[in-house]
Amino acid sequence: MSKQKMSAEDKKMVNSLFWHSFLLEACYNYERQQALGFSVGMWPAIKRFYSKKEDQAEALKRHMAIFNTTPHMVTLITGVAAAMEKEASQNKEFDKDIINHVKVGLMGPMAGIGDSFFWGTLRIISVGIGLSLAQQGSALGAILFLLIFNVPHLIVRYYCGVMGYQFGADLMSGTQNSGILKMVSKGASIVGLMVIGAMSASMVAMKTPFSFTIGETAFELQSYLDQIFPMLLPLLYTLGMFGLLKKGYKSTTILLITIAVGLIGSLIHIL
Amino acid sequence: MQAALLVGLAMAVLWFAEKMGGTPMVIRPIVVSPVIGALLGDLQTGVLVGATLELVFMGAIQIGAAVPPDVLVGAGLGTAFAIQSGQGADIALALALPIAILAQSLKVVVFIVRSWFMDLAMSLAEAGDIRKMHMLNIGGLLLQCFMYFSVGFVAVLFGSPAVEAFVNSIPQAILNGLSVAGGLLPAVGFALLLLPMMDKRNVIYFILGFILVSYLKLPVMAITILGIVLAFIICYEKGVGGDQVTAQTAGAEEEDLFDE
Repeated sequence: MSKQKMSAEDKKMVNSLFWHSFLLEACYNYERQQALGFSVGMWPAIKRFYSKKEDQAEALKRHMAIFNTTPHMVTLITGVAAAMEKEASQNKEFDKDIINHVKVGLMGPMAGIGDSFFWGTLRIISVGIGLSLAQQGSALGAILFLLIFNVPHLIVRYYCGVMGYQFGADLMSGTQNSGILKMVSKGASIVGLMVIGAMSASMVAMKTPFSFTIGETAFELQSYLDQIFPMLLPLLYTLGMFGLLKKGYKSTTILLITIAVGLIGSLIHIL
Repeated sequence: MQAALLVGLAMAVLWFAEKMGGTPMVIRPIVVSPVIGALLGDLQTGVLVGATLELVFMGAIQIGAAVPPDVLVGAGLGTAFAIQSGQGADIALALALPIAILAQSLKVVVFIVRSWFMDLAMSLAEAGDIRKMHMLNIGGLLLQCFMYFSVGFVAVLFGSPAVEAFVNSIPQAILNGLSVAGGLLPAVGFALLLLPMMDKRNVIYFILGFILVSYLKLPVMAITILGIVLAFIICYEKGVGGDQVTAQTAGAEEEDLFDE
């Protein structure tokens, strides 16, 4: 699809989709997850493209299908769906089932990219910077955290809507675009992993007071460890917990294990 | 009574803002604890408690349908109790974790109740009644806000004396242990974050970030910028180069076909 210029009316609708997109998770539930928020969020497009009440109802019902993606980037899927609703309203031959197929096809990859970018990368960076102030007792930390997260959040949310509508149904089928998405996803995971690594090193605290004496010299285990690999224990502990999660242990279980390790380790003076 | 009202209201309003604003992260401990602290007249403790709890709850995020420990209740009540009992962040930590895990089940109940709303939502959609669908959507949100208000109000109203007595009875050895555990707990959060992202091939980036701090003591911001540069080099420079090579070979194959 060529990059057509958006008409004034298109722009108005994309803006309206943007404002409607915030309520996606208001009524999150097990049965249909974000469906109600998504269906309500499609209203600006449905209202514009369908004049008959039955058609509007049919479209609202179509978008009540179970839906789940990263809330911050939902506008991309709303935009694509809006472009397809436009086609469906004009072309009688158009198979409307495709709309939900494309939505389902998009929500998985978009959630993968969105979760690793918003939860795994942007939030971690915001926390890292906010925490360095908060740990010194400054309330600015919270404000900085919200700003660093939400300025990119709002920009991405808005432009995803524009992009989604422009590329419409073709977005994912073009090989070039999926190549870009793969690159963004890989790049985000590299930054995310490095930041999580950095934060593990500065924030997981594990030292051993364990020492023993041979003859007249005292050997303090921690100082030897520090010479070989500083912060080796926090690294091993973090990777160990990761290993347990990979093996399928529940997060609650490893939280309890960790508390037990802390309590017992401190009681027998090895931590 | 006043404190209970304030904590309940703050939790309800924060949740409302979180879901009206498209998940802007206002229910993270780094934000919740200072808000509770300011309302209860001890902003400073709130900020410090928030920093500690944020680390512990770093991995408690909702991805997909799995319900993580409830950070809003954990941070809100943990901070309130820490301030009211006059103890610091370690006590907040000891209280926030079990509270958050308990509150998790309340959230599950809300999700189940709202599943019952979906039949109504379907019939409203069938009737094309967008106004009522809007109201139902907001109604579902208000239900959860009300849940948070009740939990905050009841817990602070009745819980504070009990919590204070409980805190005073904890022996020093246990408090030391909790403080050690507090240092370890962020590891669980980081491990949870890593779970969907890390595999054998990219673990080197995690270790790279780690040793940049442990050996070189670089600040997080510097490592972020370094990471972005590295990601750019790896994905863009190499990625595009790689694509061109495959495109060229594909082109060459096509020519071969035509030659025949």
